[in-house]
Amino acid sequence: MNFREVFQHMRVMTFKELIQFRRDIFLLIVVVYAFSADIYVAGSGIEMELKQAALTVADYDQSPASRDLIYSFRQPQFKYQGMEMNADHAMDLLDAGKTMLYLEIPADFNEALLSGKPTQVQLFVDTSNSVLGSLATSYAAQIVAGFGIQKAMERLSVGGAMGGGLPMVNSAHRVWFNPNGSDRWFVPINEMITMITMLSIMLPAAAMVREKERGTVEQLLVSPLTPLEIMLPKVLAMTFVILIGVTLAVFGVLGPVFEIPFRGNMLLFYVLTAIYVFSTAGFGLAISTVVNNLAQVGLMVIMLLSPMLLLSGAFVPPEAMPTALGYLILLSPMHHYIEIVMGIFLKGIGLDVLWPSVMGLLLVGTGVFAFGTWRFRRQFG
Amino acid sequence: MNWARFTAVIAKEWAEITRDRLFLGLAFIVPPILMVVFGLGMNLDVEDIPLAIIDYDHSPQSRDYAYRMIDSRYFDFKGYLHDERQIAKLISRGDVRAVVVIPPKFGEDLVAGRAVAVQTLLDGQFPLRANIARGYIGAINANYSQELIANFLSRAAGFSPDQARQQMGNLRIEMRMLYNQSGKSIWSMAPKLIMMVLMMTPPLLTAVSVVREKERGSILNIYASTVSRAEFLLGKLVPYAGISMVNGVFLWALAVFYFQAPFKGSFGFFLLATAIYSFTTTGIGLLVSSFVKTQIAAVVMTMVVTLVPAILFSGMLFPLSSMGPEAQAIAHLAPAMHYGQVIDGAFMKGIGLEKLWSSVVSLLVYALVLFVLAHRFFTKRPQE
Repeated sequence: MNFREVFQHMRVMTFKELIQFRRDIFLLIVVVYAFSADIYVAGSGIEMELKQAALTVADYDQSPASRDLIYSFRQPQFKYQGMEMNADHAMDLLDAGKTMLYLEIPADFNEALLSGKPTQVQLFVDTSNSVLGSLATSYAAQIVAGFGIQKAMERLSVGGAMGGGLPMVNSAHRVWFNPNGSDRWFVPINEMITMITMLSIMLPAAAMVREKERGTVEQLLVSPLTPLEIMLPKVLAMTFVILIGVTLAVFGVLGPVFEIPFRGNMLLFYVLTAIYVFSTAGFGLAISTVVNNLAQVGLMVIMLLSPMLLLSGAFVPPEAMPTALGYLILLSPMHHYIEIVMGIFLKGIGLDVLWPSVMGLLLVGTGVFAFGTWRFRRQFG
Repeated sequence: MNWARFTAVIAKEWAEITRDRLFLGLAFIVPPILMVVFGLGMNLDVEDIPLAIIDYDHSPQSRDYAYRMIDSRYFDFKGYLHDERQIAKLISRGDVRAVVVIPPKFGEDLVAGRAVAVQTLLDGQFPLRANIARGYIGAINANYSQELIANFLSRAAGFSPDQARQQMGNLRIEMRMLYNQSGKSIWSMAPKLIMMVLMMTPPLLTAVSVVREKERGSILNIYASTVSRAEFLLGKLVPYAGISMVNGVFLWALAVFYFQAPFKGSFGFFLLATAIYSFTTTGIGLLVSSFVKTQIAAVVMTMVVTLVPAILFSGMLFPLSSMGPEAQAIAHLAPAMHYGQVIDGAFMKGIGLEKLWSSVVSLLVYALVLFVLAHRFFTKRPQE
């Protein structure tokens, strides 16, 4: 086996794959869509913050103090929706999801605040979305506590009389890497990673299974090509396609539309992306040896991909997972890749900090690709 | 519509499904596996946020304050830092997600009755968690301040400590968490998971089943036969909608018996909604199949158009009310959201058709529109 011959085989086969890909117009459209419009759609407007949570109030006091309190629940977190004194109707509103919070202010509210007698307001919170629920409860608790302190200080006329100062701890926050705490950066980057992962598993698997299903794999097997020369060009061609897609996403959507700063090294990003795509294709190759038709490919990819997407730390960081799963996700190449992309994009860090993730990616990637190759050679060798 | 021809198409499709053992197995095994994996792994409770503290003061007050953070179940204390320059590296690597910096003279200022600002540095990579962590720290600070002021009053204004505390804390808030008293995400997730999992496989299976015939050429038999377009498409739809419904019941059982999600509504209502939803999701596959010619394109396209909306726009990870107008519009266009509202109501709130009819009708309209569109675009006389 001489080197030039191998190179020649690989080149021809890679071109064959690219031509086949180009001729499937719908596939082409879908891939372009995945790296442009899909990222735009996912990223535009989704924010994981409590915003405009509807608040309905039963104010049995109707005093300046109660109006003050209602006014403290202000935009953008809360939105005053109106008064509803009938508790049954209020429950209906909660049932139907028309309001998220229902606040009851007792009739003695103003008087209690003036005299210092204990009183309590009651807040019903729809927590069927637990994330929203916990945000709403924590904001509401802060608002009411702050209101109570303020009224108590007015009542006792401290502040003025005490020479202005009161011992208290104020919070000053600084959010790093994403100063507005905005999901307009986080979600689109995640979406791009999702698309890269999905396509880098699916395209090589589909390219291989298509040959099986149509019977053209027999032609390849009787040709002078070795199994590796059949397999690698498919991966190379799809890696090439995906890298073009990534370029479209980075320079066409993430930068211009979402104004995400690219703080790190572009070359490093491309090299590591190529490694990621290439090694993740190993999953696709392994799948292609197990299945016989594309319906099965679809199911296998979903079974493999969905847990990977949700459990690789894209939405939930590893420290929030049960311990066993927290270790298990170290085996997911996507997990390492997410750390790398977020690091290069948002944090502008290089290999000096990222090396554990890069090592993880290389180790897991090599393992996955070796497994795929082994399965492939066993079946077609 | 001829009943005999219609059932013949179903029988043919069903025979194809059952003869592909791997496929048949996957069609029933994949959904429950997804449900269990997601249910166990998608913990949206924000607890154990890795936290480090820099204490420049080293006074009894600053230690007391730090212990409020350390003792909180929301934070996982990783240790004291000595130097602010360490922060960048630790947060970059994700070793800690929050750092609290207690300034010098913290204790002295508080004793003297001056306000102190404590700075918190948060990792913005996971914005939701950063926001919640900020809320927790704010709550701890508010609580601590209240006590400080009470103590201060008792010294300065001559109240007894109890009186001062009562004076400062006379306004209380009582929280009633509805529908999900424990606030644990696994409960609230289970119904949404059913919605998501049922969106993942049925469209794909339906689309591929039609496109496979196109790619292999066996569709010519259909073109040449007396089977009408509606009979063919509906015959393709029914077996996969059936599989989806059976899976829906399995997933319901998983949600109720394994995840212990409360099911307060009526099972009949759940079945009805799931049946309509199944026809909607398979309808998406049918529509996709009328555009594409190759199975690869069918697989990629259904995954892109179903997976993303199901995860992002269904209100599972991101609350609908916090989306921008464009995203809200998309969410309302996606059937997943409507079904999500229906089963959320059936599980958590125990409400039925009388309140959720508009969502059910929306689903029904979806199913019909998708089928009509697919019917329109599917032709027995393709022009090559």
